[in-house]
Amino acid sequence: MAVVVVGERDVGFGARVALEQGRALGLRSIRGTLRQPQVWLPGLLFPIFIAAVNTSAMGRAVEFLPGFDGVDSLLDFLLVASITQSVLFGGLAAGSDTATDIQTGFFDRLLASPVSRTSILVGRLMGASVTGALQAMVFIVLYGAFGARVAAGVPGGLLLIAYAMVLALVIGGFAAMLALRTGSAEAVQNMFPLTFIVLFVSSAFFPTESMEGAYRSIASYNPVTWMVDGMRYQVIVGLDWSRAAGSLLVAAGLAALAIFGANMALRARLRRAT
Amino acid sequence: MSHPIEVEGLVRRFGDIVAVAGVDLVVKQGEIFGFLGPNGAGKTTVVRMLTTLLRPSAGVARVAGHDVVSAAGAVRRSIGVALQDAAIDPLMTGRELVRLQAVLHGISRTEADRRGDVLLERVGLSLASQRRVGTYSGGMRRRLDLALALVHEPSVLFLDEPTTGLDPTSRRALWDEVRRLNHEGTTVFLTTQYLEEADVLAGRIAIIDDGRIVREGDPKVLKEAVGDYRLQVTVAPHQLPVARQALAAFGEPRPSHETAVAIGLRAGPATVSAALRALEDAGVPVEQVELDAPSLDDVFAEATGRRLEGASIPDEGGPE
Repeated sequence: MAVVVVGERDVGFGARVALEQGRALGLRSIRGTLRQPQVWLPGLLFPIFIAAVNTSAMGRAVEFLPGFDGVDSLLDFLLVASITQSVLFGGLAAGSDTATDIQTGFFDRLLASPVSRTSILVGRLMGASVTGALQAMVFIVLYGAFGARVAAGVPGGLLLIAYAMVLALVIGGFAAMLALRTGSAEAVQNMFPLTFIVLFVSSAFFPTESMEGAYRSIASYNPVTWMVDGMRYQVIVGLDWSRAAGSLLVAAGLAALAIFGANMALRARLRRAT
Repeated sequence: MSHPIEVEGLVRRFGDIVAVAGVDLVVKQGEIFGFLGPNGAGKTTVVRMLTTLLRPSAGVARVAGHDVVSAAGAVRRSIGVALQDAAIDPLMTGRELVRLQAVLHGISRTEADRRGDVLLERVGLSLASQRRVGTYSGGMRRRLDLALALVHEPSVLFLDEPTTGLDPTSRRALWDEVRRLNHEGTTVFLTTQYLEEADVLAGRIAIIDDGRIVREGDPKVLKEAVGDYRLQVTVAPHQLPVARQALAAFGEPRPSHETAVAIGLRAGPATVSAALRALEDAGVPVEQVELDAPSLDDVFAEATGRRLEGASIPDEGGPE
């Protein structure tokens, strides 16, 4: 086996092995999440519950409230909101699981092995991203069974899945950053109310046209609104690559920021440890 | 040729606290080296430095011929590490963990499966390999931890308190496995707070206290150097001064518990009856008598003036 010594910061295997390590750690992350129903089930049930309550209580609101132009069913409108909500909540697992690894000593086990330090983070985020894709698929299929349709068809569905994957990197990256900074799963869980606020002060559940005052202003500048609106267009109206690209670019920008922050936190933790 | 572990002037500070205050060590090829000390003495800090998890504040350490700072990656490829508390992901199965550990060491998936089968068989976990680790007993987790540490066939194996909390059967099974590994040529660095464990397994030991090595060498030689059999008599508290005076002629005082007097029997166990007679003549009723051959605890006491708390292996450990 060829060994490439690339200095102390990395650990000596080539890129192929680093990718394989990232894949193995990603698989571990996915397995870990799927084997903890208490982690992913609330992230599925809560959005479904909110969608069920909203469609039952306000199903006809789409006919007269502003901002619902072209919306046939509130379930169509809520599809992207449910995916966003589910991924935001589920993505926290990437952080809390990282913190748990630190608390239990499993992180030390990784550090004592010649694993690429970057692979530790990549694996965790890869796992979060794949889980996000699974969540999006569940909502597309489930809401589809209740009559929701993605106007952009199969490409639109794929865009929603891609959006969920990138969004998972955003929340997973920020959660992992907090985990690596604090080493505390509790601190990561405390992000939950923040994600809740960010989600509800956006156009996820109501169009900004139906909002007033400061709430409307905040929602207009909330990146979640920018992401959700572009994706919702694919569901309500039809395929629009430029709007989809806008949404994905916002998500990708935030993901890049989050991953950069998480990587810095990882480096800081390694420096503190050594 | 260099030794598997060479340490010179190793220091680690945490702020103002000096956890390791200049440790020098050499561990030779193919030996089991016991690293003893009470909790907080600096054992784990030294292990963390040698396994690249902690950067030394000063000094030099080479493991498997590589510097732990400048060639940390090479060290990690050469060593196997089973850290304290067997930090194992409870959500994964034993087989999945072995495969993951192998891939982390750059081993192909096919080879990882092959080695996994061999190792799980070796540590007696084949039947449980498809079960999640969360369902394993303490002994099974330790055995899996050992298998994980061996997956890349390391030349140096670090075992940090591997039997803490284990029941006697599991402990002996692990000792047998460590011996077997050693016979196959693996150098083992074993930290433990159990003196018996070091006595049974280690060919050489070092005792660390307050971040410094206070004794180092062959356990047998160290015990012989402490010398005398230790006689301890328990008496009524008000009789302690008289007892001490009566026994002074038979040997030097040794540390003992509060209601006892202990001496090192200068002329060996043959003088026990004479010592007890001296107490009787002095009018001191003896409540209990203990006669101990020199132990590593005596070596520790002789070096530090203290007994090693928690040094004896408990009769009952965790469930197997």
